Amino acid sequence: MTNRRSTLLCLLLVLPACAFARQDANEPIDVAAVRALQPGRTTAREVVEALGAPTDVVQLGKRSAYRYDGSTTKSTVLFLLLVNFGNQDGRSDRVWVFFDERDVLSHVGATFATHRTQYALPWEDVHEASDHAARDAARPGLAK
Amino acid sequence: MRPPLWLAAALLASCVTGSFDRGVEDEPILPQRLAALRPGVDSLGSCLDALGAPHEVFEHEVAPDGSAGVGLVWRWRDEVGWGLVVSSGDDSIPGSVSIDRDHATHPGCVLWFSADLVLQRWRAGAVGDPAAGRRRPAAAETPGD
Repeated sequence: MTNRRSTLLCLLLVLPACAFARQDANEPIDVAAVRALQPGRTTAREVVEALGAPTDVVQLGKRSAYRYDGSTTKSTVLFLLLVNFGNQDGRSDRVWVFFDERDVLSHVGATFATHRTQYALPWEDVHEASDHAARDAARPGLAK
Repeated sequence: MRPPLWLAAALLASCVTGSFDRGVEDEPILPQRLAALRPGVDSLGSCLDALGAPHEVFEHEVAPDGSAGVGLVWRWRDEVGWGLVVSSGDDSIPGSVSIDRDHATHPGCVLWFSADLVLQRWRAGAVGDPAAGRRRPAAAETPGD
């Protein structure tokens, strides 16, 4: 009788229930549009025409900077009876464009990583260089 | 008669649950990439090329002539650990408690540039949001101006 109870308890403990969720904020940034920007030539108006409205504008003395961003978060939860395992993996695309006092583009800083998010369990290391390389190659405009 | 052990466990699970969670947000700036930065030599452009886009940008050292330096902030998170959730059906006991420490202890780094956009210094460690208190409010134009 004790064995049956133990078996039943073990079954309850290991009966899994999984949940997956994805949350996106803004669209991923168009890599080709960012790479087409030309410091020293492109104006603030042309940047807005190419990338749309920025998510932030910062005054830097006589200069200014616009921020564009998007993010993706993938969540995985494994529900067991008495313990749950959860993982949340978030990555963002970020572009900062800097303008001089004439509103001409002077510098661009870009990071593209929303495509690198993965569903995983908390003990997994899914961000190895080979994973990134494969995902970078699949994103239009990002492959070198 | 004592209730079966499995029944007690099943009922307990609705009140007390353990968890093992990991939260990862953005990629860290590797220490060797920061160590390679050369204050007094590197420019805003070379730092952006080396480190990518920051999370925040803020102005600092605003001069009377209107020129200003620039600060850049990167932050990231990779936290893993055990937790415990206790639920209660008693109205006098909160059903859940959460502590919001968002951005309070994120590891990160800050780079400061002079008005001519040359790297002055950098620091790595726990960062909050230094931009929030340093940002000038945007000028607002009223209709008819």
